Amino acid sequence: MNRTDVNRGNLLLEFFSEEIPARMQSNSEEQLENLFIKSLLQRDITFGTLKTFSSPRHLSIIIKNIELEQKDKKIEKRGPRFDANQKAIDGFLKSNNLNLNETVIKETKNGKFYFHSQMIKGQRTYEILPDIINEIVNSFIWPKSQRWENTDLKWARPLRNILLLFNDNLVKGKVCIGKNIFLNFTNFTFSHRFSDKKIIINKIENYEQLLEDNFVILDRNKRSEKIINDTAYLLDKEKLKLVHDKSLLDEVVGLVEFPNVLVGSIGKQFMKLPREVLSTAMRVHQKYFSITDKENNLESKFLFVANSVKNKNRDFRVIAGNERVLKARLFDASYFFEKDISNTFENWNEKLKHVLFYESLGSLHDKTIRMVNISKKFAKAFGVKPELAKQAALLSKADLVSEMVMEFPELQGIMGGHYAKIKNKSDDVSKAIFEHYKPKGISDDLPETKLGSLLSMVDKIDTLVGFFSIGKIPTGSKDPFALRRNGFSIVQILINFKLNMSLNEVIEPSLKEFDNSSQSIKLSLINFMIDKLKFVLSSRNNRIDLVNSVLNTRIVNDIPIKVISSRINSINKFIKNKDFNIFLANFKRINNILKSEKFSNNAELQIDTKIFETMEEEHINNISKSFSRKIREKGMCDKSQEVFIDSLIKMNEPISLFFENVIVNHYDNNIKTNRLSLLKNLHNSILEFSSFNFIEN
Amino acid sequence: MNKNNSFQSIITNLQSFWIDQGCVLLQPYDLEVGAGTFHPATALRVLGPDPIWKAAYVQPCRRPTDGRYGENPNRLQHYYQFQVIIKPSPKNIQNLYLKSLSFIGLDPKDHDIRFVEDDWESPTLGASGLGWEIWCDGMEISQFTYFQQVGGIEIKPVACEITYGLERLAMFIQKIENVYDLDWDGIKKNKGGKTYGDIFLQQEKEFSRYNFEKSETLLLFKQFNDAETECKNLLNDKKNPLALPAYHQCIKASHIFNLLDARGVISVSERQSYILRVRNMARSSCLAWIGK
Repeated sequence: MNRTDVNRGNLLLEFFSEEIPARMQSNSEEQLENLFIKSLLQRDITFGTLKTFSSPRHLSIIIKNIELEQKDKKIEKRGPRFDANQKAIDGFLKSNNLNLNETVIKETKNGKFYFHSQMIKGQRTYEILPDIINEIVNSFIWPKSQRWENTDLKWARPLRNILLLFNDNLVKGKVCIGKNIFLNFTNFTFSHRFSDKKIIINKIENYEQLLEDNFVILDRNKRSEKIINDTAYLLDKEKLKLVHDKSLLDEVVGLVEFPNVLVGSIGKQFMKLPREVLSTAMRVHQKYFSITDKENNLESKFLFVANSVKNKNRDFRVIAGNERVLKARLFDASYFFEKDISNTFENWNEKLKHVLFYESLGSLHDKTIRMVNISKKFAKAFGVKPELAKQAALLSKADLVSEMVMEFPELQGIMGGHYAKIKNKSDDVSKAIFEHYKPKGISDDLPETKLGSLLSMVDKIDTLVGFFSIGKIPTGSKDPFALRRNGFSIVQILINFKLNMSLNEVIEPSLKEFDNSSQSIKLSLINFMIDKLKFVLSSRNNRIDLVNSVLNTRIVNDIPIKVISSRINSINKFIKNKDFNIFLANFKRINNILKSEKFSNNAELQIDTKIFETMEEEHINNISKSFSRKIREKGMCDKSQEVFIDSLIKMNEPISLFFENVIVNHYDNNIKTNRLSLLKNLHNSILEFSSFNFIEN
Repeated sequence: MNKNNSFQSIITNLQSFWIDQGCVLLQPYDLEVGAGTFHPATALRVLGPDPIWKAAYVQPCRRPTDGRYGENPNRLQHYYQFQVIIKPSPKNIQNLYLKSLSFIGLDPKDHDIRFVEDDWESPTLGASGLGWEIWCDGMEISQFTYFQQVGGIEIKPVACEITYGLERLAMFIQKIENVYDLDWDGIKKNKGGKTYGDIFLQQEKEFSRYNFEKSETLLLFKQFNDAETECKNLLNDKKNPLALPAYHQCIKASHIFNLLDARGVISVSERQSYILRVRNMARSSCLAWIGK
């Protein structure tokens, strides 16, 4: 319980409007809270807890323990220096309407100045509230908003009433919504639409309950809970399950003020339609939930949420009405399905010739052909037959011109998969088409099959390379073609399938398809992909500095992804080894020595073995040569990465001895250069494996 | 008020309800249009010059691509809208609308009425507005729009447009699942009473064939160009432009475009440019109408 404080009071503000779109409501609560906090803080008024509410017609906030008065505030104005000329002093006095005796001279660190200080009496909060509310109304930003009548104010839908109580009293004032148009604050709001009663609020603490008594549940979480509980009550006894759909639930919560969960039946004749068609037709057009039995088989029933109080006669009528609507919708869907089944993939592919993929990137048919060409080249890496890869790619986009996908674009791929199966294409091909739009985001599942993954990757690479090649490269927050998501998906598939393909091998065939030989586009694609690779690898429990060290290897775009993964894994183990610290210290020491010297390139430097004075020089020369050779021979083999770690550990002793017993900075310049070159060669050979300078201690 | 719920009674009831609200009762515009919005009583009058404008009318609409040869119980290439346009939008407009439903025998208290976000945009008219589709027990029975722009011109005061889909509404009220079974006149069959199908089934069959198979593409392309030329000519004289006849040509062009679209002869890339051409006609007619 909050202790009641005589210097503090509670506030209730409610914006009552025509139905606000469901998708905007949650955010509007957050915005109302933030704007109110900002306005109060700016005015030095402290406050206690806040609670916000939103429903289609009501958006409100209750703030407890707001100070009744602003604190008095001393403001001090600095004038001219005390030794300034009279003109400046007079000017200061005149512009502030002061006499000289109302000023004081004060010492500051910049010298003595005239000062005038003034006490501003804190205002009473209820007197400032109208300003605050006007400020909030005018700073509100809706994703989409409108004017109405003669207003200048824009709101998501017409704003009809503003309820404003402070300490249970109506606050006098108004909000300006247009030239000479105002909304006066009131002490009332309105009930649910079907009664549409004026509800006078006498006590803020009764507000929520009073509205609930009038069939408006203001709290969206409460509405959501009611839907969940009522659903469980209706389904559990029949041993049925709801197909959970969080975003649909959120939307439905924003469409009702008093949820009434009802269940209707789907005509049996429609149950032969693919499950995805049924649930999409229900969800998209009607906002119905699907229902299954315990074994996840779709039931011939649907669940929906009406905006009303339970009433047997009305509910019966409402269910019958909804069943009739669904019947009409599904009749349409069946019509599309039958029409599609009597069509052919060849026919659809022919149609694709007339559908633009993107300006200067050709038709969807052109895209299909490019995908076919790339698929054949990728088949081996995925371990699938080139003939299958080719067929899947060829059929993959046909459904985009089918009647069903024209009606429900979200069924792309899914319908293609169903139709392929119906038309006796192989199971592998049908499944691949079905799942080739996966993964749809970084947290979405990957396709289950190899062929599906190949098709998904080929599709995305074609899109990515295509848009890059016409200069549509994502910048900042602008990524209209979702190319970043495409990049992530490609990388996820590459890593998950441990593909023996380098970034060059991934990108080059597609660049060829676009007849693009620009080095700069290739480079920006590689950098883009490395960036996505970095993100995905480091989100899989790898240290970011470690990922950076491997991805900054000079020839990283030639290293197969599975080698990159395995190299990161080996170094990950190495880091935990006690020898690693010695290695890293040595490496960084070499790095520092070389940093101060200028080496023009990374070519292997000539070493003069005749001027060696020590065994240590001999050893460094040998280990660096043998490491280089090993990298050349086995660097691209994912199974051999552990071997390199062993070699690195074995370097510890010779390098340490070198630093103990050999002076690099020799007075004889030839010897000095020779020793530096030794280190440079060793350094280079290690960098071929990983740029350890990125690793933090 | 007519007690029976025949198609024609619903129309006459809506008419008398909105006459009582002070609306001018108009008749349909005498050209093929895609929606009641195209009627100059809406498209032009919301722009000016009267600060107050209230009108109601039935408008037959044609959407050639929606034709189903009379085989689909819900889709038609020719259907009726009941259109109400009120400027400025009154404060109680939502309640007026709900009252009009009671007036045609659909008491909102007995049903689940929902205002679901549906912003409206007509690319060819260069018009847009915010509003809802209104659901009655899950069935979309009306569109409700606060006009913000027409012909690319901001509208002030804001007008409110209510469009009743008459077939859907009547099917709902009569609890009928096939549009062709709608009772048109409330007279029994054996007394010569007519259903929607008696009156329109043949028309749907023939026009579906015309729209999808038989219309003469080259002729249509020519007609489109002619309408565009005529529209431009009528607006050429900047001092005395003929806004209404020019807008008439714009409506013609818009319908011809829809016919060409139904024949599938406009490619995706061309589509945009045709829409733009119609929009330009709409915009220049609207500007001429408001005297700019």
